[in-house]
Amino acid sequence: MIAEPDGIAKVRIVKAPEMGFLERIYLVEVLKGLLVTSRHFFINLWRHMKKALGRETEPGAVTIQYPEDPAVVARRSRTHHRLLRREDGAPRCAACMLCETICPAKCIRIVAEESPDVMIEKRAKSFEIDLGRCVFCGFCVEACPVDAIRMDTGRVEMAAFWRTDMARDITQLLGERPRQ
Amino acid sequence: MPEITLSIDGVSVTVSEGALVIDAARSAGIDIPHYCYHPALGNPGVCRLCMVEVEGLPKLQVSCRLKAKEGMVVRTNSSAARRAQSSSLEFHLVNHPLDCPVCDQAGECLLQDTYQRCGLYSSTVREDKRHKPKRVKIGERIVFDSERCILCTRCVRFLDEVTKTRELGVFGRGDREEVELCPGRRVDNPYSGNIVDICPVGALTDADFRFQVRVWYLAGTASVCPGCARGCSIFVHSNVQRPWHAGGRRVVRLKPRFNPEVNGYWICDEGRYGCKSIDSPSRLKAPSLLKDGKVGAISWEDATKLVSAELAELCRAKGPQGLAVILSGTLSNEDLFAAKRLFIERLKAGHVLLRPGPDQLGEEDGLLRRKEKVPNLRGAQALGFGTAIRESSWEKILAGLTSGEIWGLYVVDRDPLAVWGAEAGEALLGLPFTLHQAANANRFTRAARWVLPSTSYAEEDATFTNFQGRTQRARKAVAPLGEARPDWRIFGGLLAALGAEFPYGSARSVFEALAGERSDLVGLDFELAPDGEPR
Amino acid sequence: MTPAMIGISWSFVKIFAALNFGMGLAAFLSWVERKQSALLQDRIGANRADILGARALGLFHILADPIKLLFKEDFVPPQGQRLWHDLAPALSLGCSALCLAALPFGDAVVLGGKTWSLQPLPMGAGVVFVLAMLSVGVHGVVMAGWSSASAYSLLGGLRGAAQMISYEVAMLSILAGPLFLYGTLDLSEAVQAQARTFWSFFPAWGIFLQPAAFILFLIAGAAETKRAPFDIPEGEAEIVGYFVEYSGMKFAMFMTNDFIETIVLAGLSTALFLGGWHLPGLGRLGLSQPVFALAGVGVFAAKMIAVLWLLMQVRWTLPRLRYDQLLALGWKNLLPLSLANFAATAWIVWWSRAG
Repeated sequence: MIAEPDGIAKVRIVKAPEMGFLERIYLVEVLKGLLVTSRHFFINLWRHMKKALGRETEPGAVTIQYPEDPAVVARRSRTHHRLLRREDGAPRCAACMLCETICPAKCIRIVAEESPDVMIEKRAKSFEIDLGRCVFCGFCVEACPVDAIRMDTGRVEMAAFWRTDMARDITQLLGERPRQ
Repeated sequence: MPEITLSIDGVSVTVSEGALVIDAARSAGIDIPHYCYHPALGNPGVCRLCMVEVEGLPKLQVSCRLKAKEGMVVRTNSSAARRAQSSSLEFHLVNHPLDCPVCDQAGECLLQDTYQRCGLYSSTVREDKRHKPKRVKIGERIVFDSERCILCTRCVRFLDEVTKTRELGVFGRGDREEVELCPGRRVDNPYSGNIVDICPVGALTDADFRFQVRVWYLAGTASVCPGCARGCSIFVHSNVQRPWHAGGRRVVRLKPRFNPEVNGYWICDEGRYGCKSIDSPSRLKAPSLLKDGKVGAISWEDATKLVSAELAELCRAKGPQGLAVILSGTLSNEDLFAAKRLFIERLKAGHVLLRPGPDQLGEEDGLLRRKEKVPNLRGAQALGFGTAIRESSWEKILAGLTSGEIWGLYVVDRDPLAVWGAEAGEALLGLPFTLHQAANANRFTRAARWVLPSTSYAEEDATFTNFQGRTQRARKAVAPLGEARPDWRIFGGLLAALGAEFPYGSARSVFEALAGERSDLVGLDFELAPDGEPR
Repeated sequence: MTPAMIGISWSFVKIFAALNFGMGLAAFLSWVERKQSALLQDRIGANRADILGARALGLFHILADPIKLLFKEDFVPPQGQRLWHDLAPALSLGCSALCLAALPFGDAVVLGGKTWSLQPLPMGAGVVFVLAMLSVGVHGVVMAGWSSASAYSLLGGLRGAAQMISYEVAMLSILAGPLFLYGTLDLSEAVQAQARTFWSFFPAWGIFLQPAAFILFLIAGAAETKRAPFDIPEGEAEIVGYFVEYSGMKFAMFMTNDFIETIVLAGLSTALFLGGWHLPGLGRLGLSQPVFALAGVGVFAAKMIAVLWLLMQVRWTLPRLRYDQLLALGWKNLLPLSLANFAATAWIVWWSRAG
């Protein structure tokens, strides 16, 4: 359906292609399908055997053996959060609550307190991200005015036995490292 | 006063003679950006932000010092006016630290608002910002940040003109100019919180509210302050969406609501910080019964049934003369209506006391604060308490207790031990019936056999009649804590359990029934919003 | 030892061997199923079960699965009937396991002047026996559906029964063609009937004499054994089948039954269409009779495995049929086609004899 500038939609009806006799008896098509799958079967079998014999070959499967092989995560993808520090090691977070405000999943909980440093003034007493609720939208990173939070750890695993274990507190978040 | 007509941005505006152009524009719905101007304070014209173009005058004029004249043609939106406003704003921001992320004012800051409206430039200032003292505690509740100050002098003028205490002044010149405490003074007057409200930026912050919760999380509910007999119009600011802020307090702060008839733009500190009782740990959450030295929780159904049965039995056996009821002026009109039905008409209690005693009297001044620290004394009087209904006295009740003449004490919202002294507690021990009905626990709560939790003023819809006889509406800002119920509902439950009629399901229906007894309420609409806006 | 006792013992040995062969192959097929599907879908397939770090291409899953299933709860729905619920998988599995006994695994061995048949249960009506056993298996399906006290199971069971009965009809009329040619219902004799060669090298197997019947037989057989693309009775993903209320080992018995039926189907196709233990050229190696017969067993197994491979390949190539399509295929296509094939065969046989 193509929308016209004047707002009237132009409709083109596409008919499903008619099946011929050979297609309707289905047998030939089944054979064609078998041919496709068999080609894959034998080529992959050949490659696996070649590899087992120690020969250089293309991989016989696209599977990533996950826990042994690292998960391939695109450089730009949003992964687990981390909190950054100032040059003197203090957390950068100013507890402005902008990430908490923008978070659509309401998974960020910050409690603010007075900083002993009068020039810093305000800092986070606690900073908690509940990854069980996080939707990894990255709004918190966008909203942060002091670049205190990033989603560049490259880590995506967050399985846990308890929901409470999916929450990350401020020390865990500060301890995260960026991906290498 | 004769009226004049002028044109502002092409809109014809009629105002009384002598009105300022900025006020005339506001009455036409045109908001001219401004910092130093405040309708209740003198207008020195220091911020230079409210510049407007006036036809026939060669230069731009400061609209907060310009009186409106017949036939005047004012443009607030012309490119010259815009440029002037924008340039003034840039000057204000030369030394402003722009630390909005940590600033408590962010979200209700006039600098932010004005920048969104007529700023939106990139700063051209290359010099370093001048640093000034930060986080200076200039009073018990006020924290001052000189860097953020734009020297509008609203606070100085408030202390000069309204409280006349003159703690602050402007010192220095040029970029060293600063608002500072006068030598040896601190801003500790009973109205000091107002300078935080009128500060257009984050220079003055409330030590109590600092970093507790961001202002954009707050919901405002128009209500009435229960702190004293004046009944100032207020906004109750509450945060229920994110309970981890402000240490779990739901009602985080109170702000004055403009009401020219009652409180103008201000409220006192006593009322302002009175909201802490709403979420204090002393709140009572469920009905309880003291039995064999142990306090046990009990359901409302059982409590209502047992209390009414006890009252009926004791009244029958020992006579209603021995029942002493201590009510409070903190009760709303609706509560008092139900209390009257229960204690006067149904039970015919021998002793009824409502007058504020030493526990509910305090300081008074000529500005806002009233001596009686209860919001509804006039409402109680209008219902007959202290007039048609003869009141007992603290001494008489204490004497009755010691002589054994009084068998029951029903106390609402008050602490008799605060009046009688702690030693009177022994006289209560052998009493067959003691009941404390209140929002917050006090010493009497521990002595009472029955404890019934009632709602605080921010948790119910109610009306209060202030010392002027003005009936105002308090609105429900947050849900009742725990199982707390409005007092009128508790009284109504007891009435129903005693077999009396109390067919009211909402505060509104009680109010409408009350209007049949009080002529001053006839024609008032329970839902009608009181006017007034924040400033 | 009396000859009778020797005969009985030999029968026991054969039945034991056939049963173990079938069960072992079924377990192995669960691995083949996973690996074959993985290979043709460019995956690796199950390979996580390991013993001391050794994974052996995922072969240990054959062990891991039954261990897991053994320790699972044997759940019977509260309103279900435990007796029938327990009996259903046993009946299904028992019937298909009996079919294994009828398969002619090899030629008779002549040893010590005696003839040792390699068919566990030599009988004159082997084909009928296999078809009958497969028919009795329907009861297991219906029983499972009914005793689970679940509407889903019941509908699944009835669907399964309708499907199996429909295709049984087609199956018999399909087999009528080749059996008419071989002139026997005995599976061993049917294999012997395919021993001939044309022009001394081209084998006279059923597949060449009755190609249409072979294709129809594979289709009907897949439907009869409820294999994909005809696995609607159990259609886990979309239509919930008759053993939805089964867990643990009872569930495993249904799964095993699935594989055993497939093996029986493969064995039947081998015996009736692929020349059984015959392989052209094998006779020229000059092997002694016992060795030759045992080599025949290997040939038979190899042919069976080839058919199993094909069935697996079909399973992972084709999407599932809709139920109405399934029944239409059975009644409107397979049955008329098979009858036509039988008629044509009869006519050709009559014509060739008359000519």
